[in-house]
Amino acid sequence: MSLKKFSELFADLDSSNSTNNKIEILNRYFLSNEPIDNSWAIFLLTRKSNKRFISGRSLKNLFSQVYEYPQWLIDTCYLKVGDSAEVITLLLKNKNISKNNKLSNISLNELLSKTLPVLSKLNEEQKNFEIKNIWETLPEDDHLIFNKILTGTFRVGVSIGLITKSISKLINIDEEIISHRLMGDFKPSIGSYEFLIDKNINLEELNSKPFPFLLANTFEDKIFKDSINNFQFEWKYDGIRIQLIKRSENVLVWTRGQELVNKSFPELVEKMSYIKDDFVLDGELLVWNFKKQIAFDFSFLQKRLNRKSPTRSIQIKYPIIFIAYDLLEINRRDIREIKLENRRIKLEKYFSKWQNKTENDISDIFKICDLINPKDWSEALTYKEKSRENNTEGLIIKKKNSKYTSGRKKGIWWKYKVDPMQLDAVLIYAKGGSGRRAGLYTDYSFALWKDQKLIKFASAYSGLTNIEIKELDKWIRKNTIEKFGPVRSLKPEMVFEISFEKIQISKRHKSGIAVRFPRITKWRKDKKIYDADSLENAYELMRKIS
Amino acid sequence: MRTKQEDLIRYKDGNLYCELADIWIDPSKPVKRALITHAHFDHFTFGCEEYLSTNETARLLKERVGDNIKTKTFDYGEEFKINGINISFHPSGHILGSSQIRFIFAEEKWLITGDFKLQKDDTCKQYEIVKTDYLISECTFGLPIFKWDETNKIANDISKWITNSPEKTSLLFCYSLGKAQRLLNEISQTNFKGNIYSHGSIYKMNNCYKELGIDIKDTIKIENKKKIDELKGSLILLPPSLSKGSYLKNFKNIQTAFASGWMSLRALRKRSGYDKGFAISDHADWDGILEVVKNSEAKNVFFHHGDSEALSKYLIEKESINVLFFGE
Repeated sequence: MSLKKFSELFADLDSSNSTNNKIEILNRYFLSNEPIDNSWAIFLLTRKSNKRFISGRSLKNLFSQVYEYPQWLIDTCYLKVGDSAEVITLLLKNKNISKNNKLSNISLNELLSKTLPVLSKLNEEQKNFEIKNIWETLPEDDHLIFNKILTGTFRVGVSIGLITKSISKLINIDEEIISHRLMGDFKPSIGSYEFLIDKNINLEELNSKPFPFLLANTFEDKIFKDSINNFQFEWKYDGIRIQLIKRSENVLVWTRGQELVNKSFPELVEKMSYIKDDFVLDGELLVWNFKKQIAFDFSFLQKRLNRKSPTRSIQIKYPIIFIAYDLLEINRRDIREIKLENRRIKLEKYFSKWQNKTENDISDIFKICDLINPKDWSEALTYKEKSRENNTEGLIIKKKNSKYTSGRKKGIWWKYKVDPMQLDAVLIYAKGGSGRRAGLYTDYSFALWKDQKLIKFASAYSGLTNIEIKELDKWIRKNTIEKFGPVRSLKPEMVFEISFEKIQISKRHKSGIAVRFPRITKWRKDKKIYDADSLENAYELMRKIS
Repeated sequence: MRTKQEDLIRYKDGNLYCELADIWIDPSKPVKRALITHAHFDHFTFGCEEYLSTNETARLLKERVGDNIKTKTFDYGEEFKINGINISFHPSGHILGSSQIRFIFAEEKWLITGDFKLQKDDTCKQYEIVKTDYLISECTFGLPIFKWDETNKIANDISKWITNSPEKTSLLFCYSLGKAQRLLNEISQTNFKGNIYSHGSIYKMNNCYKELGIDIKDTIKIENKKKIDELKGSLILLPPSLSKGSYLKNFKNIQTAFASGWMSLRALRKRSGYDKGFAISDHADWDGILEVVKNSEAKNVFFHHGDSEALSKYLIEKESINVLFFGE
C-alpha cells in the first residue's frame, strides 16, 4: 500500500464536515489497507505521538538551503499559509521538481519504520540531501503528507473519539470497549491494529490501560430544580486529572491526556506500591501546601511535570499529593457500574483500611477528597464563591446514583466554576495567526493604564466570532503604527473586556502581574480608551481575593 | 529620478488616471470618460458619462447596468487618439472581452494589464504579449505559493467530486461572469454527463456569451421550487453570495464547493465553510506575473490590486527590475 492512499485519506477527511461521512471514509480506508498501515494511520491521525522529525523552522531553512531560495520570501509566504509543511509543499509545487523523475511508491509503513528512523540519525548535510531526494522522487500529491509527517502536524478533525466510533462500527463492538483498547500507549504494529479490531473481548489484555475518563459538563441552571440531596459536591481542584492503577505489583500513573507519568512522580509510585490491594483510582494530582492544607498554584505543578526524574530536593521543594475522588476497580473487580454513592462508601472504607494497615505512612502523599455538604442550593453557591480562598476553581457536582461511564456524557457530572475576573483593556498589538487563522491578525495584546501610559498586561486570541475577527483584522490593517516582523503596533482605540481565572504578582512581566487563561469576552465598542481599567484596578482585584 | 508630474498615468483618489487625456481607467466613482478593462463589478461603476471598451465588454456592461449607458467600442488592437495619446485594447485572457490597455505618448509606452491570466480558457481570447516601457500590473496572487494546476485537471477533479457522490446534489459556487462560463466549458469536456443547472445571474451571463459567439453548454435555469429528486447527482452553479443564509435550504442532501484561486490555501479553504475548494483562477499565478513582466520588456513596473511587497522585492533583488510605487 502506497503513501498515496494515506494522502487521499487525508484529503478526503479534510474536505468532509460531517462525522458520519468521516467514519465512512475511515472505514473504507481500514477495509482496503494492510493492518500495519492502518495502525500507522491511527497513530498519525490521533497524534498518539507528538514526535517530529524536524521542526517547521528547520524545514523552511532546509528548503532555502537546498534550492537557494530566499528565506524572507518563505517567511512572507508563511504568514499567508500558517503551516510550515504546507508552505514548503506549495513552494515545491512551484518548482515542479518531481516532473521528470521516476517516482517512488513508498508505503506508509516503510516511510515511518525504515526511511525516517534512518534519516533522523544522519548529520545535517546528509539529512538535507536525503530529504531533497525524497521530495524529488515523491509524487507531487504526496508532498503535503510527507512534510506533515516530518513536522508532526496533523490537524484534520479526527479525534480518538472518531476513531473509536469508526472501529466500533467496523466490527460491531461497543464503543466503550474500543475506547478502552485505545487508551494509553499505542505502538503502531500489525498486532496493535489486530488487537483493536479483535471481536473477542479479553479484559486481561487491557490490564495496563486506564479506563476511559468520565468528564464533567458545564453547569446547567436546570439542576437547581432537582433536590440537593441527589448530588455529591466536591471542590474543583486546579491540578491534573490522574488515573492511578495498581494491578499485581505494577503502579501506573496515567494523565487524562493518556500519558504515563510514572517517571515524573517516583515518590507517588513507590508509596502506592506499599498498599496490598489492587485498585484503580480516579483523582487529581497537586502540589500541596501542607501547612495551610490547600493546593499550591498550578505553576508549581508545572515545575514537576516538566521533569522526567526529579531530584530528592525537587521532591521536597514541590511536594505532591494525590487526591482520589473515585474508586473504579478494586481487587480486579470493575465497579464502574455501581452507583457513585456506593463507590464512595467503598472508597472511604478501603482508604481507612490502607491508612491503618499499610506498613509505611502514605498519608503524606495520598488522601481522598473531602465532600462538601451544602443544605440547599444557595449554600452551594456560597461555597462556590469561597472556592478561591482554598485555591480551587469552583465545585464539581456529581449525581449520586450515576454509573461511571466514559466521555463527556450529559447529566452525570458538572463543573461549576467561580465567575471569572474581568478588566477592560486597550488593544495595542496584533500578530498574525497560524493554521486556520493564517493571513488574519488574530493574536492580540492588551494594556491597562498606569500614569497615563498604557502598559501591556495580557495576550489573548480567543473569544471573538469569525465575523468580529474579520472586522477587527480590517481595522488593524488601517490603524497600524509600526510593523515589527509579524507584529503590528496599533493606534490605541479599541477596548475589550478581558476575562481570566487567576491573577498574581509576576516579576517577569512589565505590568508586575500575570493572569491565567485570559480571553476576550466582549468587544466594548461603547467604551473609549479612557474608560479602560488601570493597573491599580488590577492590583485591587488581587488584594480582594487574597 | 522621476517625479510624479511626469507620470503619464498615476493614482488619483484610489483610481488610475491619465491627466493628459482626462480619462480614468476602471474608476470606482462616476466620471466623464471611463476606460473599462472588463465587466466585473469591481472594475466599473454606474453613472459615468461615457464608457470606452471592447465590443464584448460593452455588451456585458449593458447586461449589468442597462441599455441606456453611452458606450464607445473598439476592436482589439485598434488604435484611437485622445489629446494626442494613442490608446488601444489588447486581450488579457481574464474573461470574455477583458483587455490590457496601452497608451503611447511621445514615444513612451504605458501598459495597464487589467486583470489577466495566461492559462488556457476557450471562452475568451488568449493573453497577448504587448511590449511597453512602463507596466502597471495587477498582482492578486503575487506569491510563489500560488501555482495553478492545468485547467483540465481541475475540471476532472470537479467531475469526480460530483460522480463520487451520486446520491448528493453538488453545489459549485463561482463568480457568475467569466468563471462560471469557463467551468461550464471545461466540465462539458469531462466524464460528467449529468444535468447542469445554473442560477439566474449565471444563466443570464451564459446567454450573453452565446450571443457573442462563445460555445457554452446549455444549462437549466434553477427554479426555486424544483423537485429534490430531480437534482440528485446534478451539478448546480451558484454565485458565492448565496452560500450563506437561507437559500441553501431549498436543497436537500448537498455537498458544496467553491472555485477560486484562494482555495489553494488550506486555511482559507477551511475558513470558507465549503466542503471542498477547487483552486482555479482567472488571475495569473506568481510565475504568470513574472512571465508577463519579463515578456513586456518593461523597464519600470508598478503593481496594484494585491500584496506587492514580496513580488517587488523579488524583482528588484533577483531580476534587477525597477519597481516603482504609486504616490497620490
